[in-house]
Amino acid sequence: MSAATLPRTSPRAASRRATATEAELRGRWWRFTVLLVVTAITIVPIVAVVYLSLQPALGSAVTAPFTLENFGNVFAGTNVLLWLQNSLVVTMITVVIAVAVAAPAGYVLSRGRSKLVAGYSLLLFVIQSLPIVTAVIPLFILFARLNLVDSLTGVTIVYVGSTMSVAIWMMAAYYDSIPISLEEAGWMDGVSVFGGFVRIVLRNSLPGVLSTAIFAFLLSWNDYLIATVFLRSDYNYTLPIGVQTFFQQNSTNWGLVMAVAVVMMLPPIIVFGVLNKYFSVGGIGGSLAGK
Amino acid sequence: MSTDSVAQSLRRARSGVGVAGAGRPPDARPKRVLSPRNVTMLALVLPSILLVLLLNAYPVLYAGVQSVRDGDLISAGDFVGLANYATVLSDPVFWQAARFTLVFTLVGVFGSWAMGMGLALLLRRRIPAGGVFKVLLLLPWVVPVVVSATSWNWLVATPQSPLPILAEALGFGRVLFLANPLLAQITVCVFKVWISFPFMMMMMGAALAAVDNNVYEAARVDGASGAQLLRTMTLPLTAKSTFISWILMTIFCVNDFPTVFLLTGGGPVNATQTLVVQAYRTVFLDFETGPGVAIAFLMTVVLVVISVVLYRSVKKVDIE
Repeated sequence: MSAATLPRTSPRAASRRATATEAELRGRWWRFTVLLVVTAITIVPIVAVVYLSLQPALGSAVTAPFTLENFGNVFAGTNVLLWLQNSLVVTMITVVIAVAVAAPAGYVLSRGRSKLVAGYSLLLFVIQSLPIVTAVIPLFILFARLNLVDSLTGVTIVYVGSTMSVAIWMMAAYYDSIPISLEEAGWMDGVSVFGGFVRIVLRNSLPGVLSTAIFAFLLSWNDYLIATVFLRSDYNYTLPIGVQTFFQQNSTNWGLVMAVAVVMMLPPIIVFGVLNKYFSVGGIGGSLAGK
Repeated sequence: MSTDSVAQSLRRARSGVGVAGAGRPPDARPKRVLSPRNVTMLALVLPSILLVLLLNAYPVLYAGVQSVRDGDLISAGDFVGLANYATVLSDPVFWQAARFTLVFTLVGVFGSWAMGMGLALLLRRRIPAGGVFKVLLLLPWVVPVVVSATSWNWLVATPQSPLPILAEALGFGRVLFLANPLLAQITVCVFKVWISFPFMMMMMGAALAAVDNNVYEAARVDGASGAQLLRTMTLPLTAKSTFISWILMTIFCVNDFPTVFLLTGGGPVNATQTLVVQAYRTVFLDFETGPGVAIAFLMTVVLVVISVVLYRSVKKVDIE
């Protein structure tokens, strides 16, 4: 029996063993080459965005191969900063509300044993499988009466609605991983059901909360459909709608467009880069995957 | 309560106090609808129920009502029975959109699964700089679709774009990726796979990580080949995650709006139009609210049926 099957073998020791045979070493470099090629092809469109954003515009005085003048022009000459602010505000509020509502609801979904809870779980699954466009048309009519069309408040409300079902699910899936014996011990000490949720379960659910927050963040930051339906005036635009105004029939200034694109993709990349160890798509399928 | 007291409670529970039954879930007590536990649970879930009813359930039901009226975005209009549905179902564009939605979904689901699974299998082995690859490969999923669609447009849209120039240099002649209907369909599908494979990679990566490595070790000692391992072990052991990932991706693909709309707008000559795009265009560009809502509501009914069936089947797999 090899050392690798002993439970205490460290990954490092396992790798030393892996380097032992020449065939395995060759396999490793072969896999590395495949990955390198696939990754290189895959990120071409993203590299292109960054590359174009750094190119001097046609007829520009700049002679260096790379320049930040597109960013200067975009920030000074257009509404991009305003749109960025709109996007940030809408996204932050959506994230906060989504988590604040989904966190307690997920607890009920995870711990509740009644038929009603099972029915609610099914309802949420059905809702998240429906096209947003179905809900958008009636909401547009409703919001027109309430003066919420062309308003950031209106858009935020729709975002909260569209994140709700998956957010509740993700929270429930995370709570499922916390043993109920923790709360039972708390109840025995006289902690209330609410106290048990907040002080025992929620306190230990930071990864679940962050996962849900990242999901809500990506959904509202990356949305195009809802914003394009509801937002009408330039000063209310969020970035994805704003950047569309840069496209002209024949003479799109790609440097400017790509500078905005870089601004638009940085926040999700940063958020995901910093928090990705907390994010598990498992959470999205988790509740389905069962308990 | 501090963490200390949680630990304390745990210790007490372990020392057997909990066994006495004090720690049973309160719903094991004699049934009372308004027990403190039930009231608390209701309070916790109520805000979400209100939001879901107002922002999800009500609009869907309203869409159902609207689909049998001839209203527009401002007025409710008159009852017209199933006229809107008749209009939609007799329109060849609708059936074309339905067909392309099916193709788009099938390619999107299985294309992204195959690519994501392949990469997850590669990444689970020790590879130099594996972590860097993992992060870079997630980018297509993290970057906003508006950004990637812009970039893909720049790459393929006009004869002066880099990819057509490359194709011409390689002797393929003049390739118009978004002007030829078939090529546009292929391009949109490839774009969707490009956006979606990282999600599959993450899901299947998590599923593979849960598989016990010793099982492989044992199989390899017994002389199983790589292909045999994949067919007889890896795929069956991750079957449930695969199933769930297919369900989720099917939903994502059928409901996907921006991928198609931002790359081609549904053209050329409706070749890449999916049902969601058609519903959007009918309502917001052609201002025919009734037929547009009818398309959306037809999709909704079909999806409700499919999702209930799938939900049941997943739960069943679960119990077995």
